[in-house]
Amino acid sequence: MGAGMTRFMRRAQETGKELAWEASRAALESCELTLDAVDAVCLTSAPDAFDGVHMKGEYLSDGAGAFGRPFIRTYVGGGSGVFTAIQGWYTVASGMADVVLVVAEEKMSSTQPHPQAAFLTIFDNVLERPLGPNLLWIFALEMNRYMSAYGLDKRDIAAVAVKNKRNAADHPAALLGRSDITVEDVLASETLAWPVQRLDVSPVSDGAVALVLASEEAAERITDRPVWIQGVGWNLDTAYWTNRDLVFPEYVRNAARAAYAMAGVTEPRKQIHIAEPYDPFDYKELHHLEGLMLFDPGTAPEAARDGVLNRDGDLPSCPSGGLLGVGNPIAAAGLMKVAELFWQLRGEAGARQVPGSPERGVAQAWGDLMQVGTVVVLGNEGGPPTTATRLPDSPTPPASTPGHPLTEAEFRGATGAVEDAVDARYAWDAGVAISRFLGGLREGRILGRECRGCERVLVPPRMFCERCFRGTDAWVEVEPTGVVQTFSICHVSWDMKPLETPEIPAVIAIDGSSGGFLHVLGEVDPQEVRVGMAVEAVWKPVAERTGSILDIAYFRPVRGGAP
Amino acid sequence: MEPRVAIVGVGHAGFAPITAGLSYKELMFQAAERAYDDAGVDVRADVDSFVCCSEDFLEGTSIFDEYVPDQLGAVHRPVQTVAGDGLFGIVTGTMLIRSGVANVVVVEAHSKVSDVLTLGSIEHFALDPVWNRPLVPSVLAVAGLDMNAFLERTGLTEEHCALVAAKNRCNALDNPRAAYPADLSGDDVDDSAPLWWPLRELEVAGRADGCVVVVLAAEDRVRDLTEAPVWLLGAGWSSGSPTLESRTWGEADFVRRAAQRAYAMAGIRDPAEEIDLAEVDDTYAYKELQHVEALGLAEPADLGDLVQEGDLEPEGELPVNVSGGALAQGNLFEANGLARVLECVEQLRGEAGERQVEDVQVAVAQSWPGVPSTSAAVVVLGRDEGPS
Repeated sequence: MGAGMTRFMRRAQETGKELAWEASRAALESCELTLDAVDAVCLTSAPDAFDGVHMKGEYLSDGAGAFGRPFIRTYVGGGSGVFTAIQGWYTVASGMADVVLVVAEEKMSSTQPHPQAAFLTIFDNVLERPLGPNLLWIFALEMNRYMSAYGLDKRDIAAVAVKNKRNAADHPAALLGRSDITVEDVLASETLAWPVQRLDVSPVSDGAVALVLASEEAAERITDRPVWIQGVGWNLDTAYWTNRDLVFPEYVRNAARAAYAMAGVTEPRKQIHIAEPYDPFDYKELHHLEGLMLFDPGTAPEAARDGVLNRDGDLPSCPSGGLLGVGNPIAAAGLMKVAELFWQLRGEAGARQVPGSPERGVAQAWGDLMQVGTVVVLGNEGGPPTTATRLPDSPTPPASTPGHPLTEAEFRGATGAVEDAVDARYAWDAGVAISRFLGGLREGRILGRECRGCERVLVPPRMFCERCFRGTDAWVEVEPTGVVQTFSICHVSWDMKPLETPEIPAVIAIDGSSGGFLHVLGEVDPQEVRVGMAVEAVWKPVAERTGSILDIAYFRPVRGGAP
Repeated sequence: MEPRVAIVGVGHAGFAPITAGLSYKELMFQAAERAYDDAGVDVRADVDSFVCCSEDFLEGTSIFDEYVPDQLGAVHRPVQTVAGDGLFGIVTGTMLIRSGVANVVVVEAHSKVSDVLTLGSIEHFALDPVWNRPLVPSVLAVAGLDMNAFLERTGLTEEHCALVAAKNRCNALDNPRAAYPADLSGDDVDDSAPLWWPLRELEVAGRADGCVVVVLAAEDRVRDLTEAPVWLLGAGWSSGSPTLESRTWGEADFVRRAAQRAYAMAGIRDPAEEIDLAEVDDTYAYKELQHVEALGLAEPADLGDLVQEGDLEPEGELPVNVSGGALAQGNLFEANGLARVLECVEQLRGEAGERQVEDVQVAVAQSWPGVPSTSAAVVVLGRDEGPS
């Protein structure tokens, strides 16, 4: 029915509640409704650690119009923004509400010294956090895997960043629109964690987006130009991300299949006219276009190079400017994509309007440990024929997009910059499987669990097999050797400070197992590391081992092994 | 017409002050295996969607929803996290089934709070960072303020609240899964140390680890799966004001609105007459009375007599928290709501053993995510499928 958003800003003066309110108000005004018309509120927001508020959904609820109303906050990491539109859909489709306000809020700037602090605790508490991973690692590892598998040219990937930042120059809410940016600018930008460079990455941001959804019956009363949710899908892959091949986002394809089936889309490339795939990094847009079955695996980069994805191309992708251009307040950025399809399909996208009266679009978001896919298909058809023409629709987004950006100096000097630090400490039970694994490491051995159902050896071990969903059968010892499945060369710390010596994180596929784990490489020139290189564990001296993933100091190339 | 929804399987694990040696994944796996066995489902073949309920700071993991699929059999399936109590997960699962996007849904919630070393500090972070944190030293203070306002408004006394705490601890003597059963009297509770007056030490639920998994199914699938379905007759949920400065102190208005929605869906006109058993939030003893009132099960003026005359006891007119509630089973945080559902299911199936209440046809379960929140979910469960 309606959509609204705040500006996406590096730092907003508004609190999270105020951002949620501004977006909600804009969405309601866009379809000339007041809060009285709303039966239920669906909210999303990414980690509580950003706002530094425990039970953040409760805290934000009144800002999102939930006082006295049914209210639930759902949450699927980076996939949340698109997911909350799905939540709105089933809240209406279940018959539990007629008109629903869907709100996505994110205020990342509160986290000090850098929003990445919130991501330090997304990694496995026992096996990964001791290695000191930073968020860039996993993107760089996935990007390298994608590039290596298909022999991709970085220039073609950089074309995505160029396209999106240029598209965003036409978006009134955008943080990083640049109409003059070139591929050379991207390739010349600072290398953060090879192959990721600064202009491959979307910026941390504050902002909020809201939509108004309605049942068929209510829609008829509210507007004569509804945009219909034709299909929804969502899907989650295993948390053991080092046990998967990162080259293809299977979870996105699974989610897309569900959404397309519901929407009656059998030939996505022909029947989808606009795509808003999730683009926190430029390669992710391409990865996701392949997961959405709009391009064959490994072929989306050439489409970017050839202009197919441009606003006037054959399949416009991220005409909004995406996360790379508009900004990436995580949950809000996902819902921004759904809002963009709403505006595009109504022909209200102004300077961003895709030519040719598009009739169907797909929005997608992604998150967690490269693991979740959320997909929504929107179209101009799908409901009953409408006859009512009661209310005129105002063009959106409104001429003045709400939001007050602050510079760092203004923020520090402002009344109301309140500092606080949560004392959040934990002592986790490593559990039956990982305790024994850690005990093995102390003895210089790598242990796995065998599942006789699917004939896999699971490293890291677990007492259950997630595929067969049965208890695993036996302990086995595997060799402390493996091959580099993918790697990165990381030049910055988690708070984006330069590192004197670059780190080389890698996913090591352990020989004799069906998996492997995250670790770092040592005794090697970074320029010599290759995907597929044979490596061996270098153990700490026995006296220094504590039963930790750090009992392996690092992995190094096997002497005389593959280069 | 939307399909009816029933609970076809339940499983639990833990319900202990600590679950040493088990990881949260292994705890969840135990509960899930039992629930799937109870429902007779092959999770990899039969389940369409999964709903998990968790809050990041209690897990110590940002984006905790990452870590749930494997131990539930949910890899490559639709999985979502509801940031809140498990009863909101039941509401969500019900919506998924009624919308037609799923026929069988698994709902999970757990507590591994024994892993948390600084719970007080984390709970303090639920308060407004600018207005309240500098002023309010502990979330318990908010409970004390609310309890005092509740007693002022209703004329109930500290002794009534103490009797509730004693009742629930005693009820759990018949509950083999309870973490904190005890043979206590009202005087024992009344003699315990005041924390944030009028709230006393023995009126605060002790924390516990545990996991509950519930399997929901659409009516077409129910008869294939079980001979003893528990029907979800009504579901309602609502928020109040999370802002301390503008909330209705001493009254759970959000519970009242949630209950009204749930009763409307279930076709219940006179809850006090039609409901045979209630499992309500009792994270603090006074909350049980506040919630019984908000659920429309008793007038405030009658609550004192009901408590004193034993009407809320298992043999009474209106058995409330026969399980022992959170006060005796332990505060399971996000899993509290599902612990309520677990007890209702066992009672409705006639599987509650020593604490079985006779002839339970309709039960109500209610949850609240704890201080300083103002939101609640309510579900009405029954042995008969009820109105379509």
